[in-house]
Formats: sequence, C-alpha cells, structure tokens
Amino acid sequence: MKPTLRKLFFLWFMLSAPIGVMAQEEVNGTVKEASTDLPLPGVNVVIKGTTTGTVTDFDGNFQISVSEFPATLVFSSLGYKTIEQSISGGGAVNVVMEQDVTGLEEVVVTGLATTIKRSNSANAVSSISAEELVGVAQPQTLDGALAGKFTGALVSANSGAPGGGLSVKLRGVTSIFGNSQPLYIVDGVYVDNSSISGGLNDVSGAAGQGSSSNQDNPSNRIADLDPNDIKNIEILKGASAAAIYGSRAAAGVVIISTKRGKQGKTQFNLSQSFGFNSVINLLGLRDWNEERALDAFGEGADVAYAEARDAGTLVDYEKEIFDNKGFISSTGFSASGGGEKTTFYAGMSHKNEKGIVKNTGYERVSLRLNLDHRVSDRIKLSLNSNYIYSSADRGFFNNDNTGSTIGVTLTSLPPWAKLQPDAEGNYPDNIYGGSNPLQTIALMTNNEKVNRFIIGGSATIDIYKSLKSDLQLILRGGLDGYNLNTRAIFPKELQFEKRSNGGLNGQSIQGSTENKNINYSAFLVHNFNTDSNINFRTQAGITREVFDRNSYLISAFNMIASETNVDQAGGQRIDQFRLKQEDSGFFVQEEVNFQDKLIGTIGLRGDKSSNNGDANKLYYYPKASLAANLHEFDFWNLGKVNQFKLRAAYGEAGNFPAFGSPFTSFNSTFIRGVADQSVVGILLDGVLGNPDIEPERQKELELGLDLGLFDNRLNFEFTWYNKKVDDLLVQTNREPSSGFTTEWKNAGNLKNTGVEITLNALPFDGEDFTWNSNVTFFKNKSEITELNVPAFNLGAFGASLGTYRIEEGKSATQIVGISPDGLVKFGDGEPDFQMTFNNNLQYKDLELSFLFHWKKGGDNINLTSLLTDLSKTSHDYDDFGLDPTGTLPNGEYRAGQVGTSADVFVEDASYLKLREVGLYYNFPGELVERWFDGYIANIRLGFTGTNLLTFFDYNSYDPEVSNFGGNGLSAGVDVTPFPSSKRYMFNLSVDF
Amino acid sequence: MKSIYKLFVLILAAVSLTGCDVEEYPNLNSPDLDNLLEDPTLGDIQDLVGGMQAGMRNNIGGYLDNCGVIGREYYRFATSDPRFTSDLLGKGTAVLDNNTFYITNPWAARYRVVKNALIVLEAVDITKSDITEEEKNGIRGFANTIRAYELLLNLNLTYQNGIRIETSDPDNLGPVVGYEESLNTIQEILASAATELDAAGDDFAFVPSTGFEGLIPEGGDHLSPADFIKFNKAIAARVAAYRGDMPAVSALLGDSFLDVNGDLQAGAYYVFSADGNDVFNPMFFAQNSPASNARIAHPTFLEDAEAGDERLSKVTEREESLTLDNLTGDYDFFVYTSNVSSIPIIRNEELVLLYAEANYEANPAEAINAINVVRNAAGLPDYSGGMGAAELLDEILMQRRYSLYGEGHRWIDMRRYNRLGELPTDRAEDDVWEQFPIPLNENVE
Repeated sequence: MKPTLRKLFFLWFMLSAPIGVMAQEEVNGTVKEASTDLPLPGVNVVIKGTTTGTVTDFDGNFQISVSEFPATLVFSSLGYKTIEQSISGGGAVNVVMEQDVTGLEEVVVTGLATTIKRSNSANAVSSISAEELVGVAQPQTLDGALAGKFTGALVSANSGAPGGGLSVKLRGVTSIFGNSQPLYIVDGVYVDNSSISGGLNDVSGAAGQGSSSNQDNPSNRIADLDPNDIKNIEILKGASAAAIYGSRAAAGVVIISTKRGKQGKTQFNLSQSFGFNSVINLLGLRDWNEERALDAFGEGADVAYAEARDAGTLVDYEKEIFDNKGFISSTGFSASGGGEKTTFYAGMSHKNEKGIVKNTGYERVSLRLNLDHRVSDRIKLSLNSNYIYSSADRGFFNNDNTGSTIGVTLTSLPPWAKLQPDAEGNYPDNIYGGSNPLQTIALMTNNEKVNRFIIGGSATIDIYKSLKSDLQLILRGGLDGYNLNTRAIFPKELQFEKRSNGGLNGQSIQGSTENKNINYSAFLVHNFNTDSNINFRTQAGITREVFDRNSYLISAFNMIASETNVDQAGGQRIDQFRLKQEDSGFFVQEEVNFQDKLIGTIGLRGDKSSNNGDANKLYYYPKASLAANLHEFDFWNLGKVNQFKLRAAYGEAGNFPAFGSPFTSFNSTFIRGVADQSVVGILLDGVLGNPDIEPERQKELELGLDLGLFDNRLNFEFTWYNKKVDDLLVQTNREPSSGFTTEWKNAGNLKNTGVEITLNALPFDGEDFTWNSNVTFFKNKSEITELNVPAFNLGAFGASLGTYRIEEGKSATQIVGISPDGLVKFGDGEPDFQMTFNNNLQYKDLELSFLFHWKKGGDNINLTSLLTDLSKTSHDYDDFGLDPTGTLPNGEYRAGQVGTSADVFVEDASYLKLREVGLYYNFPGELVERWFDGYIANIRLGFTGTNLLTFFDYNSYDPEVSNFGGNGLSAGVDVTPFPSSKRYMFNLSVDF
Repeated sequence: MKSIYKLFVLILAAVSLTGCDVEEYPNLNSPDLDNLLEDPTLGDIQDLVGGMQAGMRNNIGGYLDNCGVIGREYYRFATSDPRFTSDLLGKGTAVLDNNTFYITNPWAARYRVVKNALIVLEAVDITKSDITEEEKNGIRGFANTIRAYELLLNLNLTYQNGIRIETSDPDNLGPVVGYEESLNTIQEILASAATELDAAGDDFAFVPSTGFEGLIPEGGDHLSPADFIKFNKAIAARVAAYRGDMPAVSALLGDSFLDVNGDLQAGAYYVFSADGNDVFNPMFFAQNSPASNARIAHPTFLEDAEAGDERLSKVTEREESLTLDNLTGDYDFFVYTSNVSSIPIIRNEELVLLYAEANYEANPAEAINAINVVRNAAGLPDYSGGMGAAELLDEILMQRRYSLYGEGHRWIDMRRYNRLGELPTDRAEDDVWEQFPIPLNENVE
C-alpha cells in the first residue's frame, strides 16, 4: 500500500472515532513481543470500560486519545496474555506482551470463518499444539501422534505396518455402516483420508470364506501429512461443535492449521532425528519335544524335530521375521519470516524408516510453502501449498484363505522347518504351510506410492471497518489432489505361485487411483459492538465441495519371464471404480457476547449432496450454545477461583449414505468359450439399493463446567455429552433367498453418553524448575435405542468365532458368540474408560516429558492364538488355565471350543502404554551465542521413545489391532497382524 | 475501493448461483436393476442369462466341500479356518451354525442365480425388443430349468428343513416349504420348463455356456432347445430318484441324454478358464499341498475299494502324509486335476447308475447290465454278487460312491437310504450331520 493511501486510511479511521467532549490527551507507544523483542502489529488497544480503541500498526506503534485519567489501557492479541496498563496522563506507554501458556487466551473454532477465545467457548474443543504433537517424540504418522493426547477419542492403530493405518473414533461409535472416521480439514482444505486397497485379496483370498470384507490392510491417506508442519490441531468431537460442517461432520472434525511466517528476521530450523524401532512383543515358541511334534505334525515330525534339535538347527521363525531393528531417519528444515507485506513459512522434510520386517518401510518427502500477503490494509491473501511424496512397503500380513500371508503361515510353522535359501538364493518349499515366509519377505513387493498436492488459498477483505462495527468477506478455495499407485508383485518363484503347487505362476497387481477434492466457500462476517460492550457477530456463507475419484486395478497372472508389467502376462483382470460427489450448502450463525459474561450462539447449516437418494433436497443442521463466565460477573468474589464457566451446546450434523447406495447393481460375469461362444453376463451383486436413502443425523447435547484456580495454575474441565444418531444407515441383512443378502436402510437410532474430565496443573513454577501436569479421564457408553430391522451380527467371522451384534437396547459394540446356551454376550469393544497422564518437567535447561495412556476394558476378538492352536504351535499350547475344569491344556481347549463356544476368543484388550517419553537438553543461550558467534540461536538435543513400555495381559502382539482396517464396527479383530513396534530416537534441533 | 466492492459482490453472486444445484449422478460403476427393467432389450436379457450361467459356478466349491466332507469322501484342511474340521465333522461338541460361511455362502449364491432367472422371466414378458414367441419360450424354459436345479442344490443341503420356493418379491417372500413338497415343486418347475422348451423352435436367442456342449448330438454345431430338454429330463430323473419314484425315473431317463453304451463322461459341466475375467475351478489344489489348504482323501475311500478299481486314480499318494486337527491322510483328493478342469453338473455315468437304481427291484437283469457298464469302465469284472434287492442296492451305492466321487453325491445317497449311520467317523465325538440349518438371515423360526 502506498504511504498516501495508508495515511488516508488512517485519517478516515481517526475521523470515524467518536469525538470526546472533554479535553483529550494523546497516549502513544510501541508494543513488542517478549521473546523476540520485535514489534507486534495488530494488537487491540482499548480504554477499559469504553469502546474506544485502536490497533497497533505494522511497526507495533499505536496512538490513542484518552479523555479521562487515570485510565486503564487493555492490550490484547490472540495467543498473548492480555495486559492491563494503568496510565495517569498522556505520553508514551511501551508494552511487552508475552505468549500465553495457560491456553485460556487461545482461540478455538466456532464458525467456518471465525474463532472465539477458549475462555468464551461453549464446547470442550480439544486442541493439540505443535509442542504436544511432535515436541516429545517424532511420530510415525500424524494420526498416530494423536493417541492419548485428548479426551473423548479412541485412537487405534490397525497394525504395526510402516506407513500407518489408524482408526480415530470420537466420542464412541457414530455410525455402524457409514463413515465413522472424522473429517480432516487442513488450512480450510477438505483432505481425503481414504484407505484404498491394493488388490492383495487376489492372492490372499481373505474375502472368500467367512468374511467378504477387505483385509488388505491399506494405509489411510491422512498419514501423508508431515506433523512437523503443523502449528495446531483442533478436534470438534461431535455435532454440538461441528454442526457448521453439516453433512460431513457427524464423526467429528479435525481442523489442522499449519505454521505461518511472522514478520521479522528470517528464522531457520534444522532438525535431524534418527533411531530405530523394534518389536514390542513376541509370542514365543511352544515347548517342543518328540511326542508333541509327532502329535502335531504326524509321522516323521518327531524325527525331524530331534534331528534339528541335536544339530542345533531349530529356528524361531517368529524371531527371525519380526525381531529386527528398523532404522529411522528424519530430517526437517524450515524457514520463516517476511517483511511488512509478505510473510512466509517454508518447510521441507524427509523421513525414511524401515520396518521390523525386512523389506518393509516408509519414506516421505514433504515440501510446504505458506504465504501471506497484505495487498492493502483491507485485503489479505494467503496461500498454502504442500507437495507430498510417500512410499510405503507394507509386507503381506493379516488373514488369508490360501496360506500365503506371512502371518498365517507362521501359525503352522514348527522350528525344525527348513526354510533358509541355498547358496544360489533358492528357497525350499515350506512343507508345513502354503508359503515360505522367508522367501515371501525376500521376493514380494507390496508398495503404495503417493504423489499429492494440497493447495489452499484465501482472501480476507475488510469491506468496511469502524470502531463499532466491521464487515469482512472471506473467500476460500482448496484442492487436494493425489495419485496413488499400488504395486503388489508376487514373482513366480514364490511357493504359492509355482505352477507345480497349483499357483498362478506369478502375479502382478497394480492399481492407480486419481483422487481430487475441491472445495470453495465464501463468507461474510459482520461485527457490531454496542456501547455497553455487547458484541454481535453475524456470519453467513456458502460452501461447495466436489469429489472425484477414478481407480483402476489390474490384476495380472501367469507372468512372462521375470517381467512385472501387467501386459507381460498370460491373463489379466481389470477393475475400474469411479466416484463422483457434489455437495452444496450454506450456513448462517449469530454470536452474541455480553461483556465476556454470557456468550451465546445460534446457527444453521443447510446441505445437499448427490450422494443422497434425493440429490437436491436440503438437509438442515441447527446449533445453539451458551457459555456463562460467572467469574466475569460483578458478584463474583472468590479470589482463588479466577475462572468459573458453565456451558451448554447443542448441535446436529449428518453422515452421508455410502456412495452408490441408491442403486441395485449388477456385477459383470464372463465364461470363456471358443471363438464367439464366450458368454458375457450380469449377475446381481447382492445389495438391494434404496432410492429413498437419507443421511444419518446426529444430535448432540454437551454440558460442561470449566474451573480455573490459583491464577489458572489449576484448571479443571468437566464435560458430559449425550449424542444421539437418528436414521442410522444400516446395511441390513435381507433373506438371502430373495437374491439379495443386504439392503441399505435408515433403520434405527443409537445413543452415546459419556464424560470427559481434564485436570491441568502447574504444581511448580519456579525459576529453575517447572512442572506441568495433565490428567484426563474419559468414558463413553453406547446403546442401540431403536432398531427397525431384526437384530443382526456384524463383522469378524461369524458367531462361532465371536462377532459384533446390533441389537435394540444393547451396546452398539457388544461382542457375542455361540455358546451351549445359544447366542451370548461375551464382551464389548468399548473401553470401560481411558485415562492419560501427561507431564512436562523442566529443570534449568533439562526437560523431561512423558505420556502414559491407560485403556481399561474393551474387548477384542483374538483369533491369532486359535490359528496357532490348529497347527498345535501355540506358545501356550501346553499351559493350563483356560479350561475351567482344568483338564485340557490351553491350546487343545481353545481349538476344541470352535463350534461350541466363542467365549475363549473374546479377550480383554486393556493396556497401559508409555506412549511417549522425551528427555531434552536445551543448550544455554549464552553458551550457544558464544560458541557460534551469534549465528545460531538455539540448540536442542534429546532422546525420545514411543511405546517404550506397554503393559497388557492379552494373548497376541498388541491389543491395539484391527484386521479389517479403520472403518465401521469391525475394529479389534486380531488375525496374525504385522506386530507393532516401539521406537527409540535421538533428536537434534538447531535454530538459526 | 468502490470498484473492488462491486467485484466482491459479483464474485459472491457468481459463486452462489453456481453453488445452488448439485448434479444427480447415475450409477457410475455398473448396470442397474431399476434402469434395466424400465426397458429390457434383447441384449440385456442375453446378459442376464449369461450371468445366470456364470453365477451357477459361484460357491459351487463350498457346496461340494459340504457334501464331500460330511459324506466322508475327503477332509478339507485349512489352517486359516478351523471350521472345516470342527463344525462340518461335528468335532467334540461343535454343531453346524446357521450363520457361518459353509451354509450362508452357497445358499445365497444359489438364490442369486434364482433371482437372475426371475428377472429374466420378468424381462421376457415386458420387453419391447423384436423377439419371437419361440425365442421367448426358449429363454423361459432355460431360465426355469436352471432355477429348478439351483433350488435342488439348496434343498440338498437343508433337506427336511426345506427351502423357500416363491422368491420373486423381496418384500413378500413365500414360506419355507418342507422337503417332500419342495421336491415335488422342483419336479413341476422342471416339467413346465420342458413344455416351454418344446415350444422353443430350433435355436436359442442367447449363447449357452460351452459347459453344455456335451449335450449336442454328433454332427450338431450348437445347442438347440431340443438338446437342452435332455438335460432338463436328466435333472428331473435325479429329482424323481430322490422322491423314490422309480417308474418316473425310468420314464424321465428315456427322454434324457442317457446312453448306456455311450461316453460316461458326456453331460453338462461347470466350465472354468484362466481368462482374466473368468473364474478358476475352486476344487483344485495341487498335489502335496500343505495343510494351509488341502483336500485329503478319506482313508476309507482306499480301504473300501475293490482291488483293481481304476477310479482310485481320483486320489494320489502324497509324498508325506498330512495331519491337521487329529485327522491324517496319505492321499490327495485329485478329482479335478487343474484349476481349469470342468466340474460335472450331471453326466451319463450318473444316468446309467440311475437307470440301474430304477430297475434293481423291478428288473434286476437290466440293473446288473447297467452296473456292469460302469464296473467294466472302471476296469472291474462283471458284477458277481447276490441278486437280492438289498445286495443290488449295496452295489449300486458302492458304484455311485466311486463313480461320482467328489461330485457331491455320497452324503445325499446315504441319507436317502437312511444309511448315514454307516458313514465312518474319525474322532471319538465326531458326528455325521443329516442336514444344514436354514441360514439365520432367512428369519425362520
């Protein structure tokens, strides 16, 4: 902006200020930032008790006319502690503002375009700072770093495979068949979090028998984001907070803001971490002897065992495969800074980690550039761009029906099996299973590669601005586009690919998915302050989202020579899947803030979507909330209690029917014949479509109490919620004799109630020693309150091995199974409660942080031990304890329970984990200054660990597991997963 | 500033106007039933008939395993699923579950084909395409024959528990009908299908699967409705035998493709291929497969065989015996020798033995004649046992056991002559099941 324009604007601004009657004196000064000593622009300066005020300019300067002395000036700015400065006369006042650490002045999202001070929020919005996210330990993936860091969530890894794959459930089960994973929004861009299968089922045949579900264990795409770029994450856990996001918000919204540049000297940060991961837990071997070998593997096995034992060639294959160290290296570089008009943040990172299984690993390169540019005092533009390349080699695990996966093969592998390759690298066939796992690991490829751009832009335009009111126009657009290439190569040398073993002579399964999400929105935000300090904020806007996906999967077999290209094959099968969705909506919201004492909000979102049965029907999602800051009222006189807030919030949000659910579709079929005698055909796919399908509707009421004591050194937050989901989307079972096995219906209601308690304390805050502690407790209970279809089983492998069951009046996550008394409830996937204990201790320049996470209760369906029982290889096969009569050893008992009772397969999945621990040393400033002549500002050195301690009494690798991936109700099914690992890291970070 | 203002208003207006409506997408990924039934073309109908033929193969492996394992023809080993060796064999206290893959999958697969047939029948009635009445009859006769056959397979599993016959309206399904009545209805559907095929002219209006090639008489180049009637009658003869109506068996066999002196393998088959869009034979495992996935011949199959029976080539000796879940065998089940081998639907060898069965009481000489055809083909000398009805029946069941090994007959044969008690059990508490429960989701009390 030209200087003349600026002066003009300033003049206009001054003219519009109220002109006092009394004699006025000028007060002016500069506001600086405490840590950097740089001028702080944009600070609000208000004369206390009046509406007279101004803001600091780009040089931190302000000027204000005061008519009455003594007066108090209130300096406030987001993210900083508010300062009240009394003045007795005109002249210069210089103020230094400190960053706020208590978090009370932090802002949380309340509108699509607006925020509110946390102390005024009517919702318990959880937020995670960069410090909490990556400050203690470098996480493997973004969503993995969320576990245990906020209340109300069940964050669970599906397996230990490199590249992630997680399920995040906020405040219980929100949908049975619909999407139950939260919506992720990064700097205003709707970011895709799909898990797209690479077609491994063509080899494993996992979907053939007991379950038709995908058990390919793909990663989910939110893992692509680099956690180091993130400044802050906010989590809207239910409809009461997320209603403004309308029809995609029922499972909650995770709002991610990335780092931005600040005006001033360009700052650089270089960080390097390296370390390794290793398996948390191995199951071990059965205590073999000749008799047991003979019994388990028949004639000859006893001799083979004895020979191997005497020759010392017994091999613990579980150890051989899983007990490896995977090297991890992570390098990050960022630069941020800028001038008066333009600021920037640039981040680059490279992460490379190997898994605990050979030839597995994960690599990610992320480049980010965030730009902010002030066109003029009225117009601000910002652009966020992120390019990501990631590549994950995930191995071959989980369930199968062909004996080909590494996990299932291990279950039938005795230690005397001879699997090592000869000198020429030829692997022998494994006579105890369908595959030689050493060979599979060495030769197969299961890779996912992603190239992704996430770009968002926004323009904020002050249409007019006066002291009493202002009007802003905010325009936003975003694009998330990626290309995912999956490559599963099974060379013909593999045991299960060999023709002589009935194999397909090599398979090459390659997929390509192009995904594009585009969203735009425009909002108007109007602020109006009355003379009695009541603020009215009105906002209205429109939104539009477009989703477009096109996937190809080519499955080639009978490979030619050693080629892997899909055309170099004897046969191919090709699948294509297209997804298109358009959503369009509007929203309006009114917030009234009565002197920070009472803050009320009402709002409405309307949405339509091509995914609904009726595409152009508008669905409305209202919200209303009220927060009462009792401590702000004049009658408040409890000095020690400096915050006392009561809050209530209600909101509704939706969840779309699954794509394609209005249609009754056919699959294509083919029978080969000679010449023109081939028969093409169509056969119903078994799902009866429903053209009247409607979205699910969630209605959430949240009540809470926030307390701040002793100058906010002790904070207490209590929240109770009741979350109802109406019109549950149910893929209900049809009588299979109708030709359909399932049908989409809106067929019931469910309810989640729960409490969340957070206690924040600063027990010590001394010169040399500070201790910050945080304890949370949360629990959730669900109930199917109404079900208009017969109760049905769901997930896992049927009632004989334990299954979930949706039944009116019962918990939505109950696990039932057959028993001599019929179908009986054996457990529940929902934990009894969860607790976290997070601590940060600082002594001089030493810093210790640790986070414990305790999940109490919640059951899994554990079939890993059963599979080992069938081959009589279980580590506890000969132990006693499971059989209540004490006659049968565990292995025999478990195997014998198949078809009789599922009780023994349903296991308590409680755990206590030391999620993160970090010990850091910050080199003293003077020392660093002296050493490096001021070129380097900060050096931080640390050792960190993830999952270093885990405690559980659960008979598999880790109670945190899911054979069926993240969505829906099938979590917690354990079938020979990729075991989870712990991580040790050494970190060095340098600021200059 | 003012012009900027106007610009914003313009942008806002533009966005809001275009933002109003969302596009309504059709089914992007596959054909759609409602859409198809609005105006079914001949092409649609041909594809529906093609889908029926392909769908007949779906889960046929599950059906054959059920019959083969319970009928103690072979063991099905799978380290990834315990239920083949527990539930199906009644190990310990294990029972057959009404919501487990062994019954739900084949049951649903058969009814999926039935549904396609019903859609074909509806489409033929309403199509505006240029199809002659004869061609329509051909399509109807074909669809109804297949429908009856699919119903029969499900009835074979659930037996006295019955099946649902009337299934055209998903919201108003007919009742579950008992065994006898269901068999009678299947017989009737086959009979009326035969009538339709009679009035179907010389050519079908669709391409039949090559699995029916064996029904084309020498010199013919394509399957005619008249050829297909012979398949219809063969199935009907099997149904009549299940009903115990031996005169009807004789009559129906007369109209079938029975050829006592002909190729015993001739008949109708499920066919498979290695084409990318086609499916593989689900009954094939390589010889010497490990326990992760194997079919192991029941030891009694070898023990009970007559010396010199060439049909023992249906099992092959393993390099090493295989043990799982306290079951052991030395021979692989090797009826289907590659992943593209065909699986019989019905073939001449069964018809010859049905002929023997229809005659062993009334006309033993004819029966023995037929038995000898089968015995000689297996490299065995003529029958030299007793002439009594009981002895002849024993012999017929014996020949059926070895001739139709692994084709889904043993269990049903032993059941219809109340001989399930004669089937061997391997472990102390194993059971021989008589029938499967109706799947849970049929919501039958």
